[in-house]
Amino acid sequence: MMAILAATAQGGAMAGDVEWGAYLAAECTTCHRRDGSADGIPAITGWPEAGFVAALRAYRGGARSSQTMQTVARGLDDGDIAALAAYFATYPPAAD
Amino acid sequence: MELKRRGFLGVALVGASVLAAPAVLGSGRPRVVVVGGGSGGATAARHLAMQSGGAIDVTLVEPSRTYYTCYFSNLALGGVWSFDDLGHSYANLAAVHGINVVHDWAVGVDRDARTVTLAGGGVLPWDRLVLSPGIDFVDGAVPGWDVAAQGRMPHAYKGGTQAALLAAQVEGMREGGVFAMVAPPNPYRCPPGPYERISMVAHVLTQRNPTAKILLVDPKESFSKQALFEEGWQRHYPGMIERIDPLFGADNVSVDPEAMTVDIDGVIEQVDVCNVIPAQKAGRIAEVAGLTNDAGWVPVDPHTMKARADEAVFVLGDASQQGDMPKSGYSANSQAKVAVNVIRHELLDTRLFPARYSNTCWSLIAPDDGVKVGAAYDATDEKIATRDSFISQTGEDTDLRAATFAESIGWYRGITADMFG
Repeated sequence: MMAILAATAQGGAMAGDVEWGAYLAAECTTCHRRDGSADGIPAITGWPEAGFVAALRAYRGGARSSQTMQTVARGLDDGDIAALAAYFATYPPAAD
Repeated sequence: MELKRRGFLGVALVGASVLAAPAVLGSGRPRVVVVGGGSGGATAARHLAMQSGGAIDVTLVEPSRTYYTCYFSNLALGGVWSFDDLGHSYANLAAVHGINVVHDWAVGVDRDARTVTLAGGGVLPWDRLVLSPGIDFVDGAVPGWDVAAQGRMPHAYKGGTQAALLAAQVEGMREGGVFAMVAPPNPYRCPPGPYERISMVAHVLTQRNPTAKILLVDPKESFSKQALFEEGWQRHYPGMIERIDPLFGADNVSVDPEAMTVDIDGVIEQVDVCNVIPAQKAGRIAEVAGLTNDAGWVPVDPHTMKARADEAVFVLGDASQQGDMPKSGYSANSQAKVAVNVIRHELLDTRLFPARYSNTCWSLIAPDDGVKVGAAYDATDEKIATRDSFISQTGEDTDLRAATFAESIGWYRGITADMFG
Protein backbone atom coordinates (compact mmCIF):
# COMPACT_ATOMS: atom_id res chain seq x y z
CA MET A 1 0.00 0.00 0.00
CA MET A 2 2.87 2.39 0.78
CA ALA A 3 4.37 1.67 -2.62
CA ILE A 4 1.07 2.43 -4.30
CA LEU A 5 0.73 5.73 -2.45
CA ALA A 6 4.31 6.69 -3.28
CA ALA A 7 3.81 5.91 -6.97
CA THR A 8 0.63 7.93 -7.02
CA ALA A 9 2.29 10.90 -5.35
CA GLN A 10 4.92 11.00 -8.11
CA GLY A 11 2.19 11.33 -10.73
CA GLY A 12 2.35 15.12 -10.75
CA ALA A 13 -0.62 17.41 -11.14
CA MET A 14 -3.29 14.77 -10.86
CA ALA A 15 -2.99 11.87 -8.43
CA GLY A 16 -4.75 8.84 -9.83
CA ASP A 17 -7.40 6.87 -7.96
CA VAL A 18 -5.77 3.42 -8.02
CA GLU A 19 -8.95 1.52 -7.26
CA TRP A 20 -10.85 3.22 -10.07
CA GLY A 21 -7.77 2.54 -12.21
CA ALA A 22 -7.91 -1.15 -11.30
CA TYR A 23 -11.52 -1.32 -12.47
CA LEU A 24 -10.78 0.53 -15.70
CA ALA A 25 -7.68 -1.62 -16.24
CA ALA A 26 -9.81 -4.72 -16.54
CA GLU A 27 -10.70 -3.43 -20.01
CA CYS A 28 -7.02 -3.11 -20.93
CA THR A 29 -6.03 -6.60 -19.77
CA THR A 30 -8.25 -8.33 -22.29
CA CYS A 31 -5.44 -7.52 -24.73
CA HIS A 32 -2.46 -6.16 -22.76
CA ARG A 33 -1.02 -8.81 -20.49
CA ARG A 34 -0.66 -8.20 -16.78
CA ASP A 35 2.66 -10.06 -16.72
CA GLY A 36 4.10 -7.42 -19.05
CA SER A 37 4.81 -9.81 -21.93
CA ALA A 38 4.17 -8.40 -25.38
CA ASP A 39 3.22 -10.49 -28.41
CA GLY A 40 1.58 -8.39 -31.12
CA ILE A 41 0.26 -5.92 -28.53
CA PRO A 42 2.62 -3.70 -26.48
CA ALA A 43 3.18 -4.04 -22.75
CA ILE A 44 1.62 -1.30 -20.62
CA THR A 45 2.87 -2.28 -17.18
CA GLY A 46 5.59 -0.44 -15.31
CA TRP A 47 5.46 2.76 -17.35
CA PRO A 48 6.36 6.05 -15.69
CA GLU A 49 3.01 7.71 -15.04
CA ALA A 50 3.78 10.81 -17.06
CA GLY A 51 4.62 8.74 -20.15
CA PHE A 52 1.48 6.68 -19.76
CA VAL A 53 -0.66 9.78 -19.47
CA ALA A 54 1.02 11.41 -22.50
CA ALA A 55 0.46 8.28 -24.63
CA LEU A 56 -3.23 7.99 -23.83
CA ARG A 57 -3.79 11.71 -24.38
CA ALA A 58 -2.05 11.41 -27.76
CA TYR A 59 -4.40 8.60 -28.76
CA ARG A 60 -7.37 10.58 -27.50
CA GLY A 61 -6.42 13.62 -29.56
CA GLY A 62 -5.57 11.54 -32.63
CA ALA A 63 -1.84 12.37 -32.66
CA ARG A 64 -1.06 8.67 -32.22
CA SER A 65 -2.72 6.28 -34.66
CA SER A 66 -4.55 3.05 -33.77
CA GLN A 67 -8.28 2.69 -34.28
CA THR A 68 -8.57 0.54 -31.19
CA MET A 69 -6.59 2.78 -28.85
CA GLN A 70 -8.18 5.98 -30.15
CA THR A 71 -11.61 4.51 -29.40
CA VAL A 72 -10.50 3.42 -25.95
CA ALA A 73 -8.89 6.78 -25.17
CA ARG A 74 -11.87 8.84 -26.35
CA GLY A 75 -13.80 7.16 -23.56
CA LEU A 76 -11.37 8.32 -20.86
CA ASP A 77 -11.32 11.70 -19.13
CA ASP A 78 -8.17 13.07 -17.47
CA GLY A 79 -9.11 11.51 -14.14
CA ASP A 80 -9.58 8.13 -15.77
CA ILE A 81 -6.20 8.36 -17.47
CA ALA A 82 -4.48 9.40 -14.23
CA ALA A 83 -6.13 6.48 -12.45
CA LEU A 84 -4.95 4.02 -15.07
CA ALA A 85 -1.44 5.45 -15.03
CA ALA A 86 -1.31 5.16 -11.25
CA TYR A 87 -2.60 1.60 -11.35
CA PHE A 88 -0.28 0.29 -14.06
CA ALA A 89 2.73 2.04 -12.52
CA THR A 90 2.33 -0.36 -9.61
CA TYR A 91 3.27 -3.25 -11.89
CA PRO A 92 6.94 -4.13 -12.50
CA PRO A 93 8.24 -3.58 -16.04
CA ALA A 94 8.66 -6.52 -18.45
CA ALA A 95 11.81 -8.59 -17.88
CA ASP A 96 13.25 -7.69 -21.26
CA MET B 1 -22.10 9.80 -13.38
CA GLU B 2 -23.98 9.82 -10.12
CA LEU B 3 -23.16 6.16 -9.66
CA LYS B 4 -19.46 6.86 -10.19
CA ARG B 5 -19.40 9.66 -7.61
CA ARG B 6 -21.13 7.50 -5.06
CA GLY B 7 -18.55 4.84 -5.79
CA PHE B 8 -15.73 7.24 -5.04
CA LEU B 9 -17.13 8.10 -1.63
CA GLY B 10 -16.94 4.46 -0.65
CA VAL B 11 -13.15 4.32 -0.83
CA ALA B 12 -12.38 4.58 2.87
CA LEU B 13 -14.56 1.60 3.69
CA VAL B 14 -13.01 -0.87 1.31
CA GLY B 15 -10.03 -2.05 3.32
CA ALA B 16 -12.14 -2.84 6.35
CA SER B 17 -15.05 -4.40 4.57
CA VAL B 18 -12.94 -6.95 2.73
CA LEU B 19 -11.86 -8.36 6.07
CA ALA B 20 -15.27 -8.18 7.68
CA ALA B 21 -17.66 -11.11 7.50
CA PRO B 22 -20.53 -10.42 5.09
CA ALA B 23 -23.26 -9.88 7.60
CA VAL B 24 -26.16 -10.09 5.16
CA LEU B 25 -25.43 -13.62 4.15
CA GLY B 26 -24.93 -15.32 7.47
CA SER B 27 -21.89 -17.30 8.47
CA GLY B 28 -19.08 -18.41 6.21
CA ARG B 29 -17.76 -17.01 2.99
CA PRO B 30 -20.36 -15.97 0.42
CA ARG B 31 -20.65 -18.48 -2.38
CA VAL B 32 -20.68 -17.77 -6.10
CA VAL B 33 -21.33 -20.57 -8.59
CA VAL B 34 -20.30 -19.93 -12.18
CA VAL B 35 -21.78 -22.22 -14.85
CA GLY B 36 -19.77 -22.39 -18.06
CA GLY B 37 -16.00 -22.06 -18.34
CA GLY B 38 -15.69 -20.03 -21.52
CA SER B 39 -14.93 -16.37 -22.13
CA GLY B 40 -17.62 -15.10 -19.76
CA GLY B 41 -17.49 -17.78 -17.06
CA ALA B 42 -13.73 -18.32 -16.81
CA THR B 43 -13.14 -14.55 -16.72
CA ALA B 44 -15.79 -14.09 -14.03
CA ALA B 45 -14.46 -16.92 -11.88
CA ARG B 46 -10.84 -15.83 -12.18
CA HIS B 47 -11.46 -12.14 -11.55
CA LEU B 48 -13.82 -12.85 -8.65
CA ALA B 49 -11.20 -15.06 -7.03
CA MET B 50 -8.30 -12.67 -7.72
CA GLN B 51 -10.09 -9.51 -6.67
CA SER B 52 -11.71 -10.94 -3.55
CA GLY B 53 -8.47 -12.40 -2.21
CA GLY B 54 -10.22 -15.55 -1.04
CA ALA B 55 -13.14 -13.75 0.61
CA ILE B 56 -15.58 -15.30 -1.87
CA ASP B 57 -15.97 -19.05 -2.34
CA VAL B 58 -15.95 -19.49 -6.15
CA THR B 59 -17.05 -22.69 -7.88
CA LEU B 60 -16.77 -23.08 -11.65
CA VAL B 61 -18.90 -25.77 -13.31
CA GLU B 62 -17.63 -26.81 -16.74
CA PRO B 63 -17.90 -30.28 -18.30
CA SER B 64 -14.74 -30.02 -20.45
CA ARG B 65 -11.32 -30.56 -18.90
CA THR B 66 -9.70 -28.63 -21.71
CA TYR B 67 -11.42 -25.58 -23.16
CA TYR B 68 -11.08 -25.13 -26.91
CA THR B 69 -11.76 -21.60 -28.06
CA CYS B 70 -14.11 -21.09 -30.99
CA TYR B 71 -12.17 -17.98 -31.87
CA PHE B 72 -9.07 -18.75 -33.93
CA SER B 73 -10.53 -22.17 -34.89
CA ASN B 74 -11.10 -20.76 -38.38
CA LEU B 75 -7.41 -19.88 -38.48
CA ALA B 76 -6.56 -23.47 -37.54
CA LEU B 77 -8.86 -24.61 -40.33
CA GLY B 78 -6.88 -22.36 -42.67
CA GLY B 79 -3.55 -23.75 -41.48
CA VAL B 80 -2.32 -20.44 -40.03
CA TRP B 81 -2.87 -21.50 -36.39
CA SER B 82 -2.56 -24.87 -34.66
CA PHE B 83 -5.55 -26.83 -33.35
CA ASP B 84 -3.46 -27.71 -30.27
CA ASP B 85 -3.01 -24.00 -29.51
CA LEU B 86 -6.79 -23.59 -29.21
CA GLY B 87 -6.85 -25.71 -26.04
CA HIS B 88 -6.59 -24.22 -22.53
CA SER B 89 -6.39 -25.92 -19.14
CA TYR B 90 -8.34 -25.00 -15.99
CA ALA B 91 -5.34 -26.00 -13.83
CA ASN B 92 -4.32 -22.43 -12.90
CA LEU B 93 -7.86 -21.47 -11.94
CA ALA B 94 -7.83 -24.26 -9.36
CA ALA B 95 -4.18 -24.26 -8.28
CA VAL B 96 -3.27 -20.56 -8.45
CA HIS B 97 -6.61 -18.88 -7.79
CA GLY B 98 -8.25 -21.38 -5.43
CA ILE B 99 -11.36 -21.82 -7.56
CA ASN B 100 -13.32 -25.03 -7.02
CA VAL B 101 -13.37 -26.32 -10.62
CA VAL B 102 -16.06 -28.97 -11.04
CA HIS B 103 -16.03 -30.91 -14.31
CA ASP B 104 -19.69 -31.80 -14.60
CA TRP B 105 -22.85 -30.62 -16.37
CA ALA B 106 -25.21 -28.26 -14.58
CA VAL B 107 -28.64 -29.75 -15.24
CA GLY B 108 -30.89 -27.87 -12.83
CA VAL B 109 -31.22 -24.46 -11.21
CA ASP B 110 -33.53 -23.87 -8.25
CA ARG B 111 -33.75 -20.09 -7.95
CA ASP B 112 -35.84 -20.21 -4.74
CA ALA B 113 -33.55 -22.60 -2.88
CA ARG B 114 -30.53 -20.99 -4.65
CA THR B 115 -28.91 -24.23 -5.78
CA VAL B 116 -27.47 -25.74 -8.94
CA THR B 117 -27.88 -29.47 -9.52
CA LEU B 118 -25.18 -31.39 -11.38
CA ALA B 119 -25.62 -34.36 -13.74
CA GLY B 120 -23.43 -36.34 -11.35
CA GLY B 121 -25.96 -35.75 -8.56
CA GLY B 122 -24.17 -33.00 -6.63
CA VAL B 123 -26.01 -29.91 -5.39
CA LEU B 124 -24.18 -26.56 -5.19
CA PRO B 125 -25.64 -23.78 -3.03
CA TRP B 126 -24.99 -20.16 -4.04
CA ASP B 127 -25.53 -16.61 -2.92
CA ARG B 128 -24.97 -15.33 -6.46
CA LEU B 129 -25.17 -17.39 -9.64
CA VAL B 130 -23.37 -16.60 -12.89
CA LEU B 131 -24.60 -18.35 -16.03
CA SER B 132 -22.36 -18.18 -19.07
CA PRO B 133 -23.54 -21.19 -21.07
CA GLY B 134 -22.93 -19.92 -24.60
CA ILE B 135 -25.27 -21.06 -27.34
CA ASP B 136 -27.37 -24.02 -28.35
CA PHE B 137 -28.92 -24.61 -31.75
CA VAL B 138 -32.62 -24.10 -32.44
CA ASP B 139 -34.19 -27.49 -33.19
CA GLY B 140 -35.38 -27.80 -36.78
CA ALA B 141 -33.79 -24.50 -37.83
CA VAL B 142 -32.34 -26.13 -40.95
CA PRO B 143 -34.79 -28.90 -41.98
CA GLY B 144 -32.98 -32.21 -42.44
CA TRP B 145 -30.18 -31.31 -40.02
CA ASP B 146 -29.90 -32.19 -36.33
CA VAL B 147 -26.97 -32.89 -34.03
CA ALA B 148 -27.05 -36.57 -35.08
CA ALA B 149 -25.94 -35.34 -38.52
CA GLN B 150 -23.02 -33.27 -37.25
CA GLY B 151 -20.54 -35.97 -38.28
CA ARG B 152 -21.55 -35.68 -41.94
CA MET B 153 -22.43 -32.00 -41.88
CA PRO B 154 -20.41 -30.37 -39.08
CA HIS B 155 -21.46 -27.10 -37.47
CA ALA B 156 -17.98 -26.47 -36.06
CA TYR B 157 -19.47 -23.60 -34.07
CA LYS B 158 -18.99 -24.65 -30.45
CA GLY B 159 -15.27 -25.35 -30.24
CA GLY B 160 -14.10 -28.88 -29.50
CA THR B 161 -13.54 -31.52 -32.17
CA GLN B 162 -15.94 -30.17 -34.81
CA ALA B 163 -13.50 -27.66 -36.29
CA ALA B 164 -10.84 -30.34 -36.78
CA LEU B 165 -13.46 -32.59 -38.40
CA LEU B 166 -14.43 -29.84 -40.81
CA ALA B 167 -10.74 -29.23 -41.61
CA ALA B 168 -10.28 -32.93 -42.38
CA GLN B 169 -13.30 -32.91 -44.68
CA VAL B 170 -11.98 -29.87 -46.56
CA GLU B 171 -8.62 -31.59 -46.92
CA GLY B 172 -10.30 -34.74 -48.26
CA MET B 173 -12.47 -32.95 -50.85
CA ARG B 174 -12.32 -34.32 -54.36
CA GLU B 175 -10.63 -32.20 -56.98
CA GLY B 176 -13.01 -29.52 -58.17
CA GLY B 177 -15.53 -30.38 -55.43
CA VAL B 178 -18.04 -28.08 -53.73
CA PHE B 179 -17.84 -26.76 -50.17
CA ALA B 180 -21.19 -25.44 -48.97
CA MET B 181 -22.01 -23.41 -45.90
CA VAL B 182 -25.50 -22.78 -44.60
CA ALA B 183 -24.99 -19.54 -42.63
CA PRO B 184 -27.15 -18.64 -39.62
CA PRO B 185 -29.80 -15.91 -39.31
CA ASN B 186 -29.29 -13.07 -36.78
CA PRO B 187 -28.58 -13.02 -33.91
CA TYR B 188 -25.80 -15.53 -33.57
CA ARG B 189 -22.37 -16.04 -32.00
CA CYS B 190 -19.44 -14.25 -33.67
CA PRO B 191 -21.04 -12.23 -36.48
CA PRO B 192 -17.98 -12.27 -38.80
CA GLY B 193 -17.21 -15.94 -37.95
CA PRO B 194 -18.94 -17.64 -40.89
CA TYR B 195 -17.28 -15.25 -43.36
CA GLU B 196 -13.83 -15.65 -41.84
CA ARG B 197 -14.41 -19.39 -42.18
CA ILE B 198 -15.31 -19.00 -45.86
CA SER B 199 -12.06 -17.02 -46.24
CA MET B 200 -9.93 -19.68 -44.57
CA VAL B 201 -11.54 -22.54 -46.53
CA ALA B 202 -10.92 -20.56 -49.71
CA HIS B 203 -7.29 -20.10 -48.68
CA VAL B 204 -6.84 -23.86 -48.20
CA LEU B 205 -8.62 -24.73 -51.44
CA THR B 206 -6.64 -22.14 -53.43
CA GLN B 207 -3.46 -23.90 -52.31
CA ARG B 208 -4.59 -27.54 -52.63
CA ASN B 209 -7.64 -27.72 -54.81
CA PRO B 210 -7.85 -24.55 -56.89
CA THR B 211 -10.73 -25.70 -59.12
CA ALA B 212 -12.99 -26.31 -56.10
CA LYS B 213 -15.98 -24.04 -55.49
CA ILE B 214 -17.51 -22.52 -52.36
CA LEU B 215 -21.26 -22.05 -52.07
CA LEU B 216 -22.33 -19.71 -49.28
CA VAL B 217 -26.06 -19.99 -48.60
CA ASP B 218 -26.94 -17.00 -46.45
CA PRO B 219 -30.42 -16.20 -45.09
CA LYS B 220 -29.35 -12.60 -44.34
CA GLU B 221 -29.43 -9.72 -46.78
CA SER B 222 -26.16 -8.34 -45.44
CA PHE B 223 -23.45 -9.44 -43.01
CA SER B 224 -20.66 -8.23 -40.74
CA LYS B 225 -17.67 -6.56 -42.46
CA GLN B 226 -19.30 -7.39 -45.79
CA ALA B 227 -17.42 -4.82 -47.89
CA LEU B 228 -14.10 -5.96 -46.41
CA PHE B 229 -14.75 -9.65 -46.98
CA GLU B 230 -16.10 -9.19 -50.49
CA GLU B 231 -13.14 -7.04 -51.47
CA GLY B 232 -10.76 -9.64 -50.02
CA TRP B 233 -12.50 -12.58 -51.68
CA GLN B 234 -12.28 -10.83 -55.03
CA ARG B 235 -8.60 -10.11 -54.50
CA HIS B 236 -7.40 -13.40 -53.01
CA TYR B 237 -9.87 -15.99 -54.33
CA PRO B 238 -11.38 -14.64 -57.58
CA GLY B 239 -14.23 -16.75 -58.94
CA MET B 240 -14.17 -19.31 -56.14
CA ILE B 241 -16.94 -18.07 -53.81
CA GLU B 242 -20.60 -17.76 -54.73
CA ARG B 243 -22.96 -16.24 -52.15
CA ILE B 244 -26.67 -16.90 -52.43
CA ASP B 245 -28.78 -14.39 -50.49
CA PRO B 246 -32.50 -14.34 -49.58
CA LEU B 247 -33.43 -12.77 -52.93
CA PHE B 248 -32.40 -16.08 -54.48
CA GLY B 249 -34.10 -18.29 -51.92
CA ALA B 250 -31.38 -18.64 -49.27
CA ASP B 251 -33.98 -18.16 -46.52
CA ASN B 252 -35.70 -21.39 -47.63
CA VAL B 253 -33.04 -24.07 -47.22
CA SER B 254 -33.03 -27.71 -46.20
CA VAL B 255 -30.30 -30.35 -46.30
CA ASP B 256 -30.05 -34.11 -46.74
CA PRO B 257 -26.96 -35.32 -44.89
CA GLU B 258 -27.17 -38.84 -46.34
CA ALA B 259 -27.38 -37.69 -49.94
CA MET B 260 -25.08 -34.69 -49.27
CA THR B 261 -27.46 -32.31 -50.95
CA VAL B 262 -28.62 -28.78 -50.16
CA ASP B 263 -32.08 -27.71 -51.29
CA ILE B 264 -32.17 -23.95 -51.91
CA ASP B 265 -35.76 -22.92 -52.53
CA GLY B 266 -36.34 -26.06 -54.64
CA VAL B 267 -32.99 -26.10 -56.43
CA ILE B 268 -30.97 -29.17 -55.35
CA GLU B 269 -27.20 -28.74 -55.10
CA GLN B 270 -24.94 -31.79 -54.76
CA VAL B 271 -22.04 -30.88 -52.45
CA ASP B 272 -18.91 -32.57 -51.09
CA VAL B 273 -18.59 -30.81 -47.73
CA CYS B 274 -21.45 -29.05 -45.97
CA ASN B 275 -20.99 -26.80 -42.95
CA VAL B 276 -24.39 -26.15 -41.36
CA ILE B 277 -24.48 -23.32 -38.81
CA PRO B 278 -28.07 -23.34 -37.51
CA ALA B 279 -30.06 -20.57 -35.85
CA GLN B 280 -29.11 -20.16 -32.20
CA LYS B 281 -30.48 -19.59 -28.71
CA ALA B 282 -29.05 -19.37 -25.20
CA GLY B 283 -27.34 -22.47 -23.81
CA ARG B 284 -29.84 -24.91 -22.36
CA ILE B 285 -29.24 -24.23 -18.66
CA ALA B 286 -30.55 -20.66 -19.14
CA GLU B 287 -33.85 -22.07 -20.34
CA VAL B 288 -33.88 -24.68 -17.56
CA ALA B 289 -33.43 -21.83 -15.08
CA GLY B 290 -36.55 -20.17 -16.50
CA LEU B 291 -34.73 -17.01 -17.58
CA THR B 292 -35.16 -17.01 -21.36
CA ASN B 293 -37.65 -15.02 -23.45
CA ASP B 294 -39.65 -16.22 -26.47
CA ALA B 295 -36.64 -15.65 -28.71
CA GLY B 296 -34.58 -18.02 -26.55
CA TRP B 297 -32.21 -15.43 -25.02
CA VAL B 298 -31.92 -14.02 -21.50
CA PRO B 299 -32.81 -10.32 -21.18
CA VAL B 300 -30.34 -8.66 -18.80
CA ASP B 301 -30.01 -5.35 -16.94
CA PRO B 302 -27.39 -3.36 -18.91
CA HIS B 303 -25.99 -1.78 -15.72
CA THR B 304 -25.20 -5.09 -14.02
CA MET B 305 -25.61 -8.09 -16.39
CA LYS B 306 -28.26 -9.45 -13.99
CA ALA B 307 -31.08 -11.42 -15.54
CA ARG B 308 -34.15 -9.17 -15.71
CA ALA B 309 -36.07 -12.01 -14.07
CA ASP B 310 -33.74 -12.60 -11.07
CA GLU B 311 -31.53 -10.12 -9.19
CA ALA B 312 -29.27 -12.89 -7.86
CA VAL B 313 -28.45 -14.38 -11.27
CA PHE B 314 -25.98 -12.84 -13.74
CA VAL B 315 -26.02 -13.97 -17.36
CA LEU B 316 -22.97 -13.29 -19.52
CA GLY B 317 -21.95 -13.52 -23.12
CA ASP B 318 -23.76 -15.14 -26.01
CA ALA B 319 -26.73 -16.29 -23.89
CA SER B 320 -27.64 -12.74 -22.87
CA GLN B 321 -29.82 -10.28 -24.73
CA GLN B 322 -28.26 -6.96 -23.82
CA GLY B 323 -28.46 -4.56 -26.75
CA ASP B 324 -25.73 -3.45 -29.12
CA MET B 325 -22.80 -5.73 -28.25
CA PRO B 326 -22.15 -8.60 -30.66
CA LYS B 327 -22.11 -12.12 -29.27
CA SER B 328 -18.34 -12.55 -29.01
CA GLY B 329 -15.73 -13.89 -26.61
CA TYR B 330 -14.43 -10.37 -26.12
CA SER B 331 -17.94 -9.12 -25.23
CA ALA B 332 -18.40 -11.95 -22.72
CA ASN B 333 -15.03 -11.14 -21.13
CA SER B 334 -15.98 -7.46 -20.88
CA GLN B 335 -19.40 -8.23 -19.42
CA ALA B 336 -17.84 -10.57 -16.86
CA LYS B 337 -15.80 -7.70 -15.41
CA VAL B 338 -18.89 -5.57 -14.90
CA ALA B 339 -20.67 -8.48 -13.20
CA VAL B 340 -17.65 -9.12 -10.97
CA ASN B 341 -17.65 -5.50 -9.80
CA VAL B 342 -21.35 -5.74 -8.91
CA ILE B 343 -21.01 -9.13 -7.19
CA ARG B 344 -18.07 -7.93 -5.08
CA HIS B 345 -20.02 -4.84 -4.12
CA GLU B 346 -23.03 -6.86 -3.06
CA LEU B 347 -21.14 -9.58 -1.19
CA LEU B 348 -18.15 -7.67 0.18
CA ASP B 349 -19.32 -4.05 0.13
CA THR B 350 -16.51 -2.94 -2.19
CA ARG B 351 -16.91 0.14 -4.38
CA LEU B 352 -19.48 -0.01 -7.12
CA PHE B 353 -18.37 1.50 -10.42
CA PRO B 354 -20.51 2.33 -13.47
CA ALA B 355 -20.67 -0.31 -16.17
CA ARG B 356 -18.31 0.10 -19.14
CA TYR B 357 -18.04 -2.37 -21.95
CA SER B 358 -15.88 -2.84 -25.02
CA ASN B 359 -15.46 -5.26 -27.88
CA THR B 360 -13.27 -5.83 -30.90
CA CYS B 361 -13.73 -8.62 -33.46
CA TRP B 362 -10.72 -9.39 -35.63
CA SER B 363 -11.09 -11.50 -38.76
CA LEU B 364 -8.52 -12.98 -41.11
CA ILE B 365 -9.34 -12.82 -44.84
CA ALA B 366 -6.05 -14.34 -45.99
CA PRO B 367 -2.67 -14.87 -44.27
CA ASP B 368 -1.51 -11.45 -43.00
CA ASP B 369 -4.71 -9.79 -44.25
CA GLY B 370 -6.44 -9.00 -40.96
CA VAL B 371 -9.40 -6.68 -40.41
CA LYS B 372 -11.31 -5.60 -37.33
CA VAL B 373 -14.46 -3.96 -36.07
CA GLY B 374 -14.85 -2.67 -32.55
CA ALA B 375 -16.77 -0.40 -30.23
CA ALA B 376 -17.03 1.04 -26.75
CA TYR B 377 -20.37 0.85 -24.95
CA ASP B 378 -22.24 2.38 -22.03
CA ALA B 379 -25.20 1.06 -20.10
CA THR B 380 -28.56 2.78 -20.48
CA ASP B 381 -31.69 1.61 -18.69
CA GLU B 382 -32.92 0.12 -21.94
CA LYS B 383 -29.80 -1.56 -23.35
CA ILE B 384 -26.04 -1.68 -23.65
CA ALA B 385 -25.58 1.11 -26.15
CA THR B 386 -22.72 1.89 -28.53
CA ARG B 387 -20.79 5.02 -27.49
CA ASP B 388 -18.05 4.99 -30.14
CA SER B 389 -16.95 2.56 -32.85
CA PHE B 390 -14.44 1.82 -35.59
CA ILE B 391 -13.98 -0.56 -38.52
CA SER B 392 -11.13 -1.38 -40.92
CA GLN B 393 -11.42 0.29 -44.30
CA THR B 394 -11.41 -1.22 -47.78
CA GLY B 395 -8.23 -0.54 -49.71
CA GLU B 396 -5.95 -0.50 -46.66
CA ASP B 397 -2.28 -1.25 -47.41
CA THR B 398 -0.76 -4.64 -46.68
CA ASP B 399 1.39 -3.37 -43.81
CA LEU B 400 -1.67 -2.17 -41.89
CA ARG B 401 -3.50 -5.43 -42.56
CA ALA B 402 -0.47 -7.43 -41.34
CA ALA B 403 -0.31 -5.25 -38.22
CA THR B 404 -4.01 -5.88 -37.59
CA PHE B 405 -3.39 -9.62 -37.83
CA ALA B 406 -0.43 -9.36 -35.44
CA GLU B 407 -2.68 -7.41 -33.06
CA SER B 408 -5.26 -10.20 -33.19
CA ILE B 409 -2.62 -12.71 -32.08
CA GLY B 410 -1.77 -10.41 -29.18
CA TRP B 411 -5.45 -10.24 -28.30
CA TYR B 412 -5.74 -14.05 -28.38
CA ARG B 413 -2.77 -14.41 -26.04
CA GLY B 414 -4.15 -11.63 -23.85
CA ILE B 415 -7.72 -12.81 -23.45
CA THR B 416 -6.77 -16.44 -22.86
CA ALA B 417 -4.30 -15.28 -20.18
CA ASP B 418 -7.08 -13.10 -18.71
CA MET B 419 -9.32 -16.21 -18.55
CA PHE B 420 -6.93 -19.01 -17.62
CA GLY B 421 -3.62 -17.42 -16.45
